[in-house]
Amino acid sequence: MNGARVYVIDDDASVRAAIEDLLASVGLAAQGFGSTAAFLAHWRQADGSGDGTPACLVLDIRMPGQSGLEFQRQMQDLGMALPVVFITGHGDIPMSVQAMKGGAIEFLTKPFRDQDLLDAIQLGLGRDRDRRAQAQAQALLRARWDSLSPGEQAVVRGVAAGRLNKQIAADLGVSEITVKVRRAQAMRKMQVRTLAELLRVADPFCGTYTAPP
Amino acid sequence: MLASLRPPARVRRALIALALGLAMAAIFVADTMTEYAVAAAVFHTAVILVAVRWFSPRAVVALALACIALTVVSFGLTPAGLYSVGLVNTGISILAIGITAYLGLKMVAAQAAAHAAQARLLQIARATSLGALTGSIAHEVNQPLAAIVTSGHACQRWLAQQPPQLEKAGQALQRILADAERASNVVTRIRGMARGEAPRRQRFDLEEAARDMVALSRGALDARGIAVRWDAAPGLPPAWADRVQVQQIVGNLLLNAIDAIDTAGPGGVPEIILSLRRPGPEQLELCVTDSGIGLDPAVQAHLFDAFWSTKSQGMGLGLTLCRSMAEAHGGRVWAAPRADGRRGASFHVSLPALRDNAA
Repeated sequence: MNGARVYVIDDDASVRAAIEDLLASVGLAAQGFGSTAAFLAHWRQADGSGDGTPACLVLDIRMPGQSGLEFQRQMQDLGMALPVVFITGHGDIPMSVQAMKGGAIEFLTKPFRDQDLLDAIQLGLGRDRDRRAQAQAQALLRARWDSLSPGEQAVVRGVAAGRLNKQIAADLGVSEITVKVRRAQAMRKMQVRTLAELLRVADPFCGTYTAPP
Repeated sequence: MLASLRPPARVRRALIALALGLAMAAIFVADTMTEYAVAAAVFHTAVILVAVRWFSPRAVVALALACIALTVVSFGLTPAGLYSVGLVNTGISILAIGITAYLGLKMVAAQAAAHAAQARLLQIARATSLGALTGSIAHEVNQPLAAIVTSGHACQRWLAQQPPQLEKAGQALQRILADAERASNVVTRIRGMARGEAPRRQRFDLEEAARDMVALSRGALDARGIAVRWDAAPGLPPAWADRVQVQQIVGNLLLNAIDAIDTAGPGGVPEIILSLRRPGPEQLELCVTDSGIGLDPAVQAHLFDAFWSTKSQGMGLGLTLCRSMAEAHGGRVWAAPRADGRRGASFHVSLPALRDNAA
């Protein structure tokens, strides 16, 4: 379970210490914070989304200052896609409904079973890992696409729209040979072997193709 | 000093209806016998004013219409006087009767609303302070408990490792002990809180203080037709206690008595008896007796336990607080079945009194 980080936000120091120790006993690195503000300051300073480590947040609901549920909303506004496991002293149904609607992994009532917390954290870390992998793949493809020249991008768009080489050549006012050369270049730069593969990975960038009249 | 040897409400109401009927007849005769210039019919307003206090709004409206009808009939029968003057006087009488009935009914409705608001206020004050209190107690105790449970699990896991991490397990145990002590401190603190601040003693008339609380509950009592009887021994000394706390005790016992009568449902005469006596030279005893469901032996055993209640909405703290407040005065609160063998319960409070009545 290397390379995972669990943040614990609870205003109660001994609850925090106990959870950190429990996580340490299963080899999970945990970092505790006494308030959402302290956590946010740390997150901004370390630019938490920057490094690729999957992370998960264990969040107390009832805290002086900002409550856990309010922080969940703020995280959405800030675009923080960190999975959240809620823990609370006395959870009522409306509270848990709100938490789950906000995308929480789990809603645990204190005192909770250790296995329940660990399962929820593993689920959260797994989701964060998937999300990060997806985002990373997306970023890589974007970088490859950006390395294509405008002419090459135009050819790929034409291919994606189902136009023949001849038609694309006419659309762009170049020779059919040029179209074929650009298409081959694009496939090399996008690191794909078949035309079908090129269409699949390039599709998100193509948009709608409008052939000139 | 049995202050209320009055007949039951139904009989009283019938007597009043009879008296009002006689008064209306007398006014009618006077109005008819005298000449037009004498507007005896305006005295019907007095009938309306009495009726408003005793009868339902619908009955009052019917009575007002009857008065107006009598006024018109009497106008037709009156033999002497200037006709035009009679016409004006009759109009004035009818207007006066109508306005009196309208204003009287408005006033009664406003009074009822005020009573209801007062009763609600009393309930809310009781429920919210206790609700907030229990909520924060639960939170205060639950935090260390949660930490203990989690640390316990961590400790187990450190011990289960190969080789067992004894140092880590020891640290977890240390935290468990510290948190257990913290929980215990919270409980001690709550005990201290329940004992409350030292009572601020003053001399005051216990009966008067109790009557204040009965007046506050008047709306709830009247709405259920509960009769309140007073039975105070003569020559009682003033109490030597915290007046506010004593009133809280009395208020609580009254609300309990009303709830017990509600739970018992219809049947029997709903009544609450407040009796005051002096069991010792420096002691006063107040007793609130109700005609409610009475005390099951199983219930009686838990009456004063904290967070124990027979009411679905109850917090189970009312009597607990009553007892700790009474004990802070060196007094007691206890419950017993009704002494006269009827259905219901008696709650007794003993309080210190001033020895010297003249002081």
